Amino acid sequence: MIEFNDVTKTFSGAAAVDGISFQVHAGELFVLIGPSGCGKTTTMKMMNRLIEPDSGSILIDDKNIKELPLQQLRWNTGYVLQQIALFPHMTVEENIAVVPEMCGWSASAVSGRTDELLELIGLDPGTYRSRLPAELSGGQQQRIGVARALAADPDILLMDEPFSALDPISRSQLQDEMKELQRTIQKTIVFVTHDMDEALKLGDRIAVMKEGRLVQLDTPERVTAAPADDFVRSFIGERQSVWQRQAAVLPMEETTMNISGDTSGTAASAETSLEDVYSMLRSKQVQELPVHAGGKTYLVTDTMILDYVYDVQRGKEAGDGRSS
Amino acid sequence: MDVLREFFQLASNQSNLLMEAFWQHVEMSVVSLLIAVFIAVPLGVFLAVRQKGAEPVIGSTAVLQTIPSLALLGFLIPFVGIGTLPAIIALSAYALMPILRNTYTGIKGVDRALVEAAEAMGMSRARTLWRIQVPLAMPTIMAGIRTAMVLIVGTATLAALVGAGGLGDLIMTGLNRSNNYYILLGAIPAALLALLIDGILRAAEKKTTGSSLKPMIFVITAALLIVTLPYGVQQAMPEEETEEIIIGGKLGAEPEIIISMYQHLIEDQTDIQVELEAQLGTTDIVFQALQNGDLDGYLEFTGTAITELLGEEPVSNDEDEAFEQAREGMLRTYDLVFLEAMDYQNTYALAVTEAFQEETGAETIGDLTAYEDDITAAFTFEFYDRNDGYPAIQETYNLAFDDVQTMDAGLRSGALVSEDVQVIDAYSTDSYMREYNLAVMEDTENVFPPFNGAPLFRADVLDDHPEIEDVLNQLGGRITEEDMIDMNYAVDVDDEAASDVAEEYLREAGLLTSSDE
Repeated sequence: MIEFNDVTKTFSGAAAVDGISFQVHAGELFVLIGPSGCGKTTTMKMMNRLIEPDSGSILIDDKNIKELPLQQLRWNTGYVLQQIALFPHMTVEENIAVVPEMCGWSASAVSGRTDELLELIGLDPGTYRSRLPAELSGGQQQRIGVARALAADPDILLMDEPFSALDPISRSQLQDEMKELQRTIQKTIVFVTHDMDEALKLGDRIAVMKEGRLVQLDTPERVTAAPADDFVRSFIGERQSVWQRQAAVLPMEETTMNISGDTSGTAASAETSLEDVYSMLRSKQVQELPVHAGGKTYLVTDTMILDYVYDVQRGKEAGDGRSS
Repeated sequence: MDVLREFFQLASNQSNLLMEAFWQHVEMSVVSLLIAVFIAVPLGVFLAVRQKGAEPVIGSTAVLQTIPSLALLGFLIPFVGIGTLPAIIALSAYALMPILRNTYTGIKGVDRALVEAAEAMGMSRARTLWRIQVPLAMPTIMAGIRTAMVLIVGTATLAALVGAGGLGDLIMTGLNRSNNYYILLGAIPAALLALLIDGILRAAEKKTTGSSLKPMIFVITAALLIVTLPYGVQQAMPEEETEEIIIGGKLGAEPEIIISMYQHLIEDQTDIQVELEAQLGTTDIVFQALQNGDLDGYLEFTGTAITELLGEEPVSNDEDEAFEQAREGMLRTYDLVFLEAMDYQNTYALAVTEAFQEETGAETIGDLTAYEDDITAAFTFEFYDRNDGYPAIQETYNLAFDDVQTMDAGLRSGALVSEDVQVIDAYSTDSYMREYNLAVMEDTENVFPPFNGAPLFRADVLDDHPEIEDVLNQLGGRITEEDMIDMNYAVDVDDEAASDVAEEYLREAGLLTSSDE
């Protein structure tokens, strides 16, 4: 758990972060979002002390991070950068090994961990471990970036707009993988982005920032359904109406092939609003929710719902009529 | 074809000399480069990390760069003496700027995001430098080192002027003798050496991929071994218990022949060993070396002592009186002792080609005033500048050449023969007087003071070794102008060794007691 208590950071007179307090729960994917200059990156960089706050305190698992040894803090907080920043003179394996080596792992342990991580991110260890970063695509590079951050099995993962430098297809792919990964590894992830679609798709909770302050901290559906003020509303834009408009039905045939014969424990019907289905998924902390519709029971995941909303939004923007 | 044959003939005749000079050059260059690398790379890294004060520091190394190399070498002599030391200091100073600038730029040029990533991964500053920044800056740093290396190998040829030896010795000999083969014998190996070292550095750089700096460390270690091993061996050898004095000489064949005579005589008739520093440099450099103790003695001329070293006017044009004036002055002012002077005078002269003389009928310096607007003169820097040189001529004969070019002593006679110039200053005993049939313009007004050569020693050396005085005084009043021209010709034109020519003279004159051979 990460806890901010009235944290302020000023750069040459201007407050980048202005007295914010919040908590990141263990195991959640916490998104910091806002326009550029809102202080979201500064907030994140204070968590591994790349930036030191002027006042206030930051606690990780109830310990003030100022009192932790710096190296220990950083080895326990993996860091993924927008610029990816793999060390270009090191192979994939050497990049992943950087932190474990510093932590004093044995060579065989490092090697085993490298294979494990490469498998986890879906790259064949035999093919990729001795490649140089320049020999990889952007998407592959950032997968390695994530693997490198996870190398020494930290409790916390800090991700600074990790997918914004990628092309749209890779970005969407990595977002899906990230969602999957998070289920597998269950880390506390702090994710900075300026892309609301990404935030809605990935975030367990979203912290919307503006001018160094926290404007709203809530689940994606709450943020879209009940924006705290006009700023959040404008930031959400059309998406709100998308959620509301889709409130009626999720077109099951379009979104899922998962059909269960078991109708017991059916939690929702097709008439249940999309937002409620989503909320149920969240509140029950389950991965799938059986939804009864047209005599069949569909298994619905939150990714499915978000993807659908996302597609509808995209389709609307592109001007085609997919939003049936 | 003849040219090639003659060049290779010379190369094989002088292969020992060439190898020695080449090795000296390698040692001097590698030591200087290593020193520069060890100073500039850490400094560059430090400045890049510190972020402040970089420009003034790099700027001051750039200022070092702008000092002409010869000036820097000359400037160092009063402080560190002659030989390899001033050469290495000057060469290292020259190499600083390219290495420093490239190291700084290379480290600064490493992507900020990579440094931030390293920091966020818990790397210490030192580890970030060693594992990330230095390896990534390596190509830029190496480019700087290679630039510096070419600069060093080239500039090291000038180190011959302060007695550091190296391939510059061959080039200087070539210039002095107007012998292009000698110049090439020095210049071509220097160029090849630069290419060779560049190749080694490039290969090491290619091998240095990834985070390992091992190949680079290997090359540096190998270089350190190459330059330190000979010293180590020397140190290990038991030093012989012999007394030794060092005698120097200015540029040219004549000083080398005469000091070789000193060496033969002293070693023949005393237990003292003599080391020669021949071809050391111009008057200024040699005189400074004598004063600061790098030399114990050298061959000096009375006229030079009076006008240049003492800054006096010659009291007389009689050679005995001039010698007395020089002897007293040097003893009083510098505590230096002139031993007995030789017979010949190597005075300044204005020389023209015989063809020119026939055409114009000019016999004396005064006769040249009629042609002063039409002819070009080529003078050495020294002659052009010194009070008893061109300025004295201008004043006494009211002679002002329209066009005066200053050039190296070795180039004047060539310029005269090729008719680029019509009149040069010459030394009356130089071999080219005979080689090119030059005619001397008579100095009717006795402007040039007497120039008798004599050994000049520090008084304390003669106190320690009083026997030297009698030994060297045997040369007093000997060696005629004719003898000297013959010997200069033998060395300059026939390429005989100065030491052999000197020994032959002494043997014929019956001055050597030992009868070996």
